[in-house]
Amino acid sequence: MDPGKFLLFATGGLADAAYLFIVAAGLSLVFGALRVINMAHGSLYMIAAMVSVVVANRLGAGIGFLPALLGAVLVAAAIGAVIETTVLKRVYGHEHLVQLLATYAIALIIGGAARLIFGSNYRTTSTPIQGSLTILGYSYSLYALVMIAAAILIGLGMYGLLFRTRLGRNIRAAVSDPELLNASGVNVTLLYTAVFTVGAGLAGLGGAIVAPSQAVDPTIGDSVLVLAFAISVIGGLGSIIGSAVGALMVGEVISFGLINPTTNSFALAFVFIIMTLVLTVRPWGLFGRPEA
Amino acid sequence: MSSTGRSLRWAAACGAVLMAALACGGSSNTGGTVTFKGTKNIGLSVALTGQSALYGHAISQSMKLAADEINAKGGINGYKVNADILDDATQVANAVNNIKSLILQDNVVAMLGNVTSAQCQATSPIAKQNKVIFIAATCNSYQLTTEPDLVNPYYISVVPNTFMEGTAAGELAAKTGAKKIFIVSPKYLFGISETNAFVAELKKVAPSATIINDSSTWYVPFPTNPRWDSTINAIQAAKPDLVYSNIFAADQINFITQALQVDPNFFQKYPMTTLASVDELQSLGSKYPLGMHLYQRAPFFALNNPAMNGFVTKYHDRYGEFPSDWAVMDYDAMTMYAKAANAAGSFDADKVRSQIVGHSFDSLRGYKFTIRDGDQQANVGETVGTTGDSGGKYPFPILVNSTNLKGDDLLMPTAIMQQLQAGQCEKTPGTPNTTDFSLCPAWKTS
Repeated sequence: MDPGKFLLFATGGLADAAYLFIVAAGLSLVFGALRVINMAHGSLYMIAAMVSVVVANRLGAGIGFLPALLGAVLVAAAIGAVIETTVLKRVYGHEHLVQLLATYAIALIIGGAARLIFGSNYRTTSTPIQGSLTILGYSYSLYALVMIAAAILIGLGMYGLLFRTRLGRNIRAAVSDPELLNASGVNVTLLYTAVFTVGAGLAGLGGAIVAPSQAVDPTIGDSVLVLAFAISVIGGLGSIIGSAVGALMVGEVISFGLINPTTNSFALAFVFIIMTLVLTVRPWGLFGRPEA
Repeated sequence: MSSTGRSLRWAAACGAVLMAALACGGSSNTGGTVTFKGTKNIGLSVALTGQSALYGHAISQSMKLAADEINAKGGINGYKVNADILDDATQVANAVNNIKSLILQDNVVAMLGNVTSAQCQATSPIAKQNKVIFIAATCNSYQLTTEPDLVNPYYISVVPNTFMEGTAAGELAAKTGAKKIFIVSPKYLFGISETNAFVAELKKVAPSATIINDSSTWYVPFPTNPRWDSTINAIQAAKPDLVYSNIFAADQINFITQALQVDPNFFQKYPMTTLASVDELQSLGSKYPLGMHLYQRAPFFALNNPAMNGFVTKYHDRYGEFPSDWAVMDYDAMTMYAKAANAAGSFDADKVRSQIVGHSFDSLRGYKFTIRDGDQQANVGETVGTTGDSGGKYPFPILVNSTNLKGDDLLMPTAIMQQLQAGQCEKTPGTPNTTDFSLCPAWKTS
């Protein structure tokens, strides 16, 4: 494969990895800190995507993108806060099955509400950044490159939040030693709400960012949730670096796997083969920590 | 009054109420000024959510419109028709559960087919087992009527099947003069079936054309990943003269959207021949590229006739949008069933079937179609053309210089149909799901 082609497919994989990382980071954060399997994470992604398309189209293509994105993230975060304070608070400490069922029920409710409010038809909106770049004879979507840059910035922002702020320190403490956190006088109730809200906001950010490049309808959260789980398991639940590496692996496996005659048939399955291998050999993920 | 007397009066009152209720529920009910003997359900398990929701939405709307019109004319055999619609989210398992529920609990007298061939493949045997007429107006793999283990005498198709469509697409691609062709197709029964038909026809009419991507990369997993970077980049790398695709609904919308983001001139550099419908054109509107070589099953704007024009007006007035190809075909399906059941004077599947097979029916498509005996396939046509500006008439491009190919010219030859059903065309003898028409002796000699 010549360098131009390699760069083409590698960048395609990065574009896939970009939005998957943002979504998976939120899921991983919530599970790592709260030990909650949030089946509604894909629904928050979907709601944000729907809101961003509706708002962007109302305000006008291009100029409407940023307000739409902000609005979508706020909506997702707000819904997340409501979910945490009204439902999840009651199931912390319960077995994972109860949490799974509770969040799955929420996912169904959000899906139904979305269909009632937005209808079942697809919606599309224009990208805020038009145009492409030609490198070594191949065209690259400018918007896809912006998505990649945005994901890198968000990753750095998450790193800064987790390692340079008091909130981040408390979140990391919740991930690594929740008992000590309880004993240290931190307002755990408020912390948990903050973590879930941030996680929901990240899901919403992923949805809003990807919305201009695909048809959006109330079911788009289903497929992204599956991949986000796989990435979180591969990278390590609670690890942002793990989410980034996991998303990168998934994005590149899909990008290169689908065009190769040998691997085309099982490129997507290969993602789950990797997940299974990681679970077998290192169940806490590549960058996670074993539970005490 | 004694307690016995009170009990008797109470029992009599209850009995009177019960009799009145039975009289109301069991006998005539009215739909406006028409009086009906009762209600009969026609079932539909369709994608109202999921990958094919775009189509399911149109189909369910059309079915309801047709039901209302049938009822306004007195219903079927004096019964009011109810469109009994369930969402299957484009999932096979849901479609199976739904058809069982519709047949066993709702006692449907007929079913309209699902959106995807994978679903129809699973639901047709259930309809057959329960002797329920099953009219396919969307799912269209030819195997559904010719594969030995799927043959179903109650399965009627009013949509051009994959053999017919692949043939039309092959001829369309050959006309472009393209020599290097890249294939993108969803990996399930429909995609594989239609692509095989395309390739077979292309070999016949344009033997110098070559498919430049390895056959194992023709197909993308279905349901697909919403991002198409890999395929778009593969097309850039391969630099074909033409891309052939039969991806549809959300997949087509995503593919086109992302390809245009990569290169606004993507479809000028890499012209595309693809299956499409008014739904994709409406969804993308002015963003749908011009110059695309499309093959469509029933685009209203290319089938100008009084019946179609009236239907378009009614549909648009009621739903605020233009009817897609699926809406047209499912409307035809409903009116065909109504005519046949009325002619049979019964809802019995065998009696209705006898009024369908070998008979001709009016169609919104501007011609009468006939249901062939053997595979119950209608000789319906396909429209081919290139997208161009509608001149402001519609908020989406239409086909310019379109041609309505005749169904009789596209229909699978009877000899091939019979050989398929007899199991003479299996790659692995005795394995019906390896059925391929290009292995039939009649194909090889044609």
